[in-house]
Amino acid sequence: MPSAPLRVAVVCSSNQNRSMEAHNILSKRGFSVRSFGTGTHVKLPGPAPDKPNVYDFKTTYDQMYNDLLRKDKELYPCGMASLKNPLCFILERLKILNSSNFRYTQNGILHMLDRNKRIKPRPERFQNCKDVFDLILTCEERVYDQVVEDLNSREQETCQPVHVINVDIQDNHEEATLGAFLICELCQCIQHTEDMENEIDELLQEFEEKSGRTFLHTVCFY
Amino acid sequence: MAGAQEGPSPRPGQEEPGSDGRSTSERVVDLLNQAALIGNEGKISILRQVQELIINKDPTLLDNFLDEIIAFQADKSIEVRKFVVGFIEEACKRDIELLLKLVANLNMLLKDENVNVVKKAILTMTQLYKVALQWMVKSKVIGELQEACWEMMSSMASDIILLLDSDNDGVRTHAIKFVEGLIVTLSPRTADSDVPKRHENDVSLERIPRDHPVIKYNVLWEEGKAALEQLLKFMVHPAISSINLTAALGSLATIARQRPMFMAEVIQAYETLHANLPPTLAKSQVSSVRKNLKLHLLSVLRHPSSGDFQPQITTLLVDLGTPQAEIARSMPSPREARKRPRDEPDAALKKMKIEPPLGEDDEDKDLEAPAVAVAKVAGAVTVPSDTDITAEFLQPLLTPENVANLVLISMVYLPEAMPASFQATYTPVESAGTEAQIKHLARLMATQMTAAGLGPGVEQTKLLREEPKEEKVAKPDAVVIKRRLSALGQGQAIAVLGAHGSAPGLPDETPQAKRRPEPIMPATQPRLAGAGGRKKVFRLSDVLKPLSEVQVEKLKLGAVRRILRSERAVAASGAAQARVKILASLVTQFEVPLKGEVLSFILDDVRGRLDLAFAWLFQEYNAHLARGGGLERYDECLIGLLAGLQEKPDQKDGIFTKVVLEAPLITESALEVIRKYCEDESRTYLGMSTLRDLIFKRPSRQFQYLHVLLDLSSHEKDKVRQQALQFIKRMYEKEQLREYVEKFALNYLQLLVHPNPPSVLFGADKDTEVAAPWTEETIKQCLYLYLALLPHNHKLIHELASVYTEAIADIKRTVLRVIEQPIRGMGMNSPELLLLVENCPKGAETLVTRCLHSLTDKVPPSPELVKRVRDLYHKRLPDVRFLIPVLNGLEKKEVIQALPKLIKLNPIVVKEVFNRLLGTQHGDGTSAVSPLNPGELLIALHNIDSSKCDMKSIIKATNLCFAERNVYTSEVLAVVMQQLMEQSPLPMLLMRTVIQALTMYPRLGGFVMNILSRLIMKQVWKYPKVWEGFIKCCQRTKPQSFQVVLQLPPPQLAAVFEKCPELREPLLSHVRALTPHQQAHIPLSTMAILEATTRHEPEGTPGEEKPPKRPPGSEEDPKAKGGGPGSPPPPEGAPPELLEPPPIFISAAEDEESSGGGGDASPPDPALDTPKDPPAGTEPPQPLPPPGEAPPPSPPSSEPPPPGTQSPPPGGVPEGPSEG
Repeated sequence: MPSAPLRVAVVCSSNQNRSMEAHNILSKRGFSVRSFGTGTHVKLPGPAPDKPNVYDFKTTYDQMYNDLLRKDKELYPCGMASLKNPLCFILERLKILNSSNFRYTQNGILHMLDRNKRIKPRPERFQNCKDVFDLILTCEERVYDQVVEDLNSREQETCQPVHVINVDIQDNHEEATLGAFLICELCQCIQHTEDMENEIDELLQEFEEKSGRTFLHTVCFY
Repeated sequence: MAGAQEGPSPRPGQEEPGSDGRSTSERVVDLLNQAALIGNEGKISILRQVQELIINKDPTLLDNFLDEIIAFQADKSIEVRKFVVGFIEEACKRDIELLLKLVANLNMLLKDENVNVVKKAILTMTQLYKVALQWMVKSKVIGELQEACWEMMSSMASDIILLLDSDNDGVRTHAIKFVEGLIVTLSPRTADSDVPKRHENDVSLERIPRDHPVIKYNVLWEEGKAALEQLLKFMVHPAISSINLTAALGSLATIARQRPMFMAEVIQAYETLHANLPPTLAKSQVSSVRKNLKLHLLSVLRHPSSGDFQPQITTLLVDLGTPQAEIARSMPSPREARKRPRDEPDAALKKMKIEPPLGEDDEDKDLEAPAVAVAKVAGAVTVPSDTDITAEFLQPLLTPENVANLVLISMVYLPEAMPASFQATYTPVESAGTEAQIKHLARLMATQMTAAGLGPGVEQTKLLREEPKEEKVAKPDAVVIKRRLSALGQGQAIAVLGAHGSAPGLPDETPQAKRRPEPIMPATQPRLAGAGGRKKVFRLSDVLKPLSEVQVEKLKLGAVRRILRSERAVAASGAAQARVKILASLVTQFEVPLKGEVLSFILDDVRGRLDLAFAWLFQEYNAHLARGGGLERYDECLIGLLAGLQEKPDQKDGIFTKVVLEAPLITESALEVIRKYCEDESRTYLGMSTLRDLIFKRPSRQFQYLHVLLDLSSHEKDKVRQQALQFIKRMYEKEQLREYVEKFALNYLQLLVHPNPPSVLFGADKDTEVAAPWTEETIKQCLYLYLALLPHNHKLIHELASVYTEAIADIKRTVLRVIEQPIRGMGMNSPELLLLVENCPKGAETLVTRCLHSLTDKVPPSPELVKRVRDLYHKRLPDVRFLIPVLNGLEKKEVIQALPKLIKLNPIVVKEVFNRLLGTQHGDGTSAVSPLNPGELLIALHNIDSSKCDMKSIIKATNLCFAERNVYTSEVLAVVMQQLMEQSPLPMLLMRTVIQALTMYPRLGGFVMNILSRLIMKQVWKYPKVWEGFIKCCQRTKPQSFQVVLQLPPPQLAAVFEKCPELREPLLSHVRALTPHQQAHIPLSTMAILEATTRHEPEGTPGEEKPPKRPPGSEEDPKAKGGGPGSPPPPEGAPPELLEPPPIFISAAEDEESSGGGGDASPPDPALDTPKDPPAGTEPPQPLPPPGEAPPPSPPSSEPPPPGTQSPPPGGVPEGPSEG
């Protein structure tokens, strides 16, 4: 076991779903973990694929939550009270049908934000963080590229190595949960190695075989 | 320092509130004391506080507390040691002078046993090396201490370069990073160098004054280049890990950007790598590496100096799947690129770096660089690379025809499966045949050729390098000398620090170790690579020294031993199967000592390691099949196992059998081991049942195995032999084996024909004594198997018969002795046996007789047998001995017919005959009913025609009868006598028998008297022999016989008296004692004879009968007279009862009889004794009594009267009684 606890970062593009799911699990398992996004903005699904909700990284989860909650109400302005009016009710039904049935509560985004705000106040952008990690886990190849590029573009100072591993996770709740567990397992294995740097290669190979996924893996330096 | 010793915090809490006012020094002391006592986690944080205090807050304290902090470098905790490394870094950065004290400690930590500490130390070195160099450069005066310190730094740097070969991935990664920094530091910064802001003030080569007293510009420059060589070499290592590769790629990119002078090398390295990704990489690693390569290529491309290399870089990027747009985006603006060459690096640098192309570059560069990528002028500071030259050379050669040929040729070398790296890197060729593509192809090939050490480029470079090489060789020598001198100073410096003996040695040795190979390396690399050709993997030999034979053996043995010993652990982990397989194939490939090891391991616990044994055995067999060569190794393995098993004490589990039966092949020598096993008496059964199983389950060689078993059937050890015979008997029942077994048995049997035992019978070792005579042992050896088979196949008996006839006497005897049991086993109903009897080959008579005897020993002969014997006897071989065994099966008539011949045989045989006839042989009740009852037998004996048999034999025969008192009871004898008496003529031996019977049974006296009387009626005197016996009998039975004697007609009475004068007196007195009435019955003539002969007596009875006429009678007189007075006076008184036998006489007679009837005339045989009576009696007829009415008395000279009696020669007669 390495003598010092592993400093872990989990990175996805918006620091909402995949990285936060993993952050959640890892911190529950006692890891020293942080999560980031690499995108320029935080994007959440909107009423249509081409109409995402876009925030910048300064926005807190709480603000996003409230914003979406508000939008939900805008979409469905008739609360319970409005249902008393039969005409209004019928109109409301029609609206729902027209708006492809979209509600943030329904696709779990509010729930997700609710969880996120309990973990940390706001999303963080990886490129803005100068902290040192031992292990960075990314959730898709694009994010991995961005992380590696960012790390390589930094001026090197201590030459301390950091291992970057990409675990492809689709951006939905189920996959995020599964991916988080995989990441967690991976972290636990790495944490338990005698000499992380010496064994990580082999460990990843084993993991690839076991999980049937492939991992990108590289080392960068601070 | 003094502050630290001021005492261990005597004031704990009290002063704490006012601690703000308290000196930092005191706080540090306090914290240090705490740290010494506290556990690990706390210790680190306390130490951090100390560090903060003495480095940042009050650096003046640093020197004071240095020793206390450094003392923690011996701490058990890795984290604490790492902290110490970090502290050294911070402290030295704060005050580089401290390095003088700390460098040795850093050196120690660099060699820490824990990799994490080592890694941390490398990181620190990466930082401090620059700082130290700067310090050296800046120092106006450099003391010995400082110089030594720098030497140590240099040597540590060399050590870290060597760590590129560490076996720890992480350490290698750190070493790469250090080398990167080293290269950057030890090369001049140029105008086009990227300079990270943070490192703007970092020292690098160009800041080193040429006239520095200690630091030599050129030396460092060479070191820097050498470090790059190392890094490049490291990168082409075929087994490099993906992480190291990634790190190295990044480092190269950094180097290329910060030191564009190396860009050519870097790009070439990238090209080489891209074309030859290490085969050890997994698929995902390949994509990681490619991604990395792309990233770094782009970053290099962005560099303004990349202009000359843009074609290569672009090609690589395209190959890596980078979109053109992205490439274009990363291109430096042309203006920028163009600007670069004008910012010339200082001329001095250029001069020392490159000689040949230097002259032209200033002007030509601009023109050439964009034009031809592979041109010689590759930037201001590079020579054209090998690849460039070769590619240029190749390009015109790549005509479609040539390319097609190349493709065809290389088809042969394609691997069967597509390698992961190829799969990942393959991009379809878009622009085949275009100029660009050909160029690209040429470059790819050139890369490969350069890597393989081929092509004009390599050769040219080789030439170029000749010169610098010499320089290099010279330089390090100087350095070494210099270092040696300074080492002394350093030793002192370290002593001040109170550090460690090992330190002084290091700078002394490492430079040599490092420097020596250095100049060689650049030259060796291509050469070695060339030897490897395509197979890059063999470059491993660069790194490795070949082990000596002994070492190799030792390692091999050690490895196998470990696998062997790991039995339990492996079993627990469930890989036992794999272990067994591995062991088996290892052992099969290796040499002898290993096999012994494994063998004894197996034998230690055969049961548990049987699978290993079999795995090995099969592996050897497979190897044999694969090789197609000899079986020696397999044989050796099998023998080893079997022999080992044989020596094991407990064998109940049948492992031996199992091994034998499951072995794929039983070799000759293995068979020999099995044989030995069988010969071990305690394992005979197991061994032979193994053989049996082999015979049945391996039909292809069953005869070979059978032969061994058969061989054992004549083994000298009884138990082994018996067991073998048992097994063979069972085999013999199998149709397919029968013939072989039989043949073998008969072959052995045939050996008996030889005059001497053939050498086969002795073990091969005894082959020499061929002339040895047959012994019972050797004879039996030939017979065991045969005899065992005989009861199962009666036909074999004929073979024996034919052998028998030819064999010598010794063999015959033995055969007769051993044949009994099997013959009895065959039984007399065996048709073959009967056939033998019937045919009885000439010379085999004794054998047949023996058979007959054995058969009938205890069982009565069967009619069939009797018939055969009878036929044989009558038709072919009239030897009466054949009949003996079947006597009881013959008819009465036949027996009687044969009797004369039978009783003439050897007395022992005769006895046997009588035993059979009388049923007195061993068995009781089992014996068959004899065709003759005892009485009949005796009668038959009496009736034997004396022309057919001499009297002596007959007498002996009758004596045999009488010897069986149990059979010949008084009743039987009485009947016999009765019947004999009734015959006419009377049998010659009648009276002998009568007397004998009387002797045996005195109570027969009355009956005998009766007989005698009736004999008188039959005119017994007509049969001289009988008559003689009659008189003798009367004489014996007096006075009982008087009554009978008196019945004789007078002439015969006279003859009696003549013969036996001593009878007269008692008879006379007997008569006188009779009552007058009784006397009246006595005829006068009788009386006359009684009295007439009493001339010498006062009272003689007047006898009418003539006195004996014979002169011989007178001759007898003296004898008679002698006998007369010698004989006891007749008893007085009343005549005893006729039937009452005189007890004394009888008992005396009996005594005499039982005592064996001495050599002298014995009473029981009077009839025969007679001739002996006369002392000079040469002629038996002499004592003949007067013939009376009977045939005319023969004259004294006449021959013995009855021709039939053929009286035995006188010599024979006395023998009679002695034999009786």
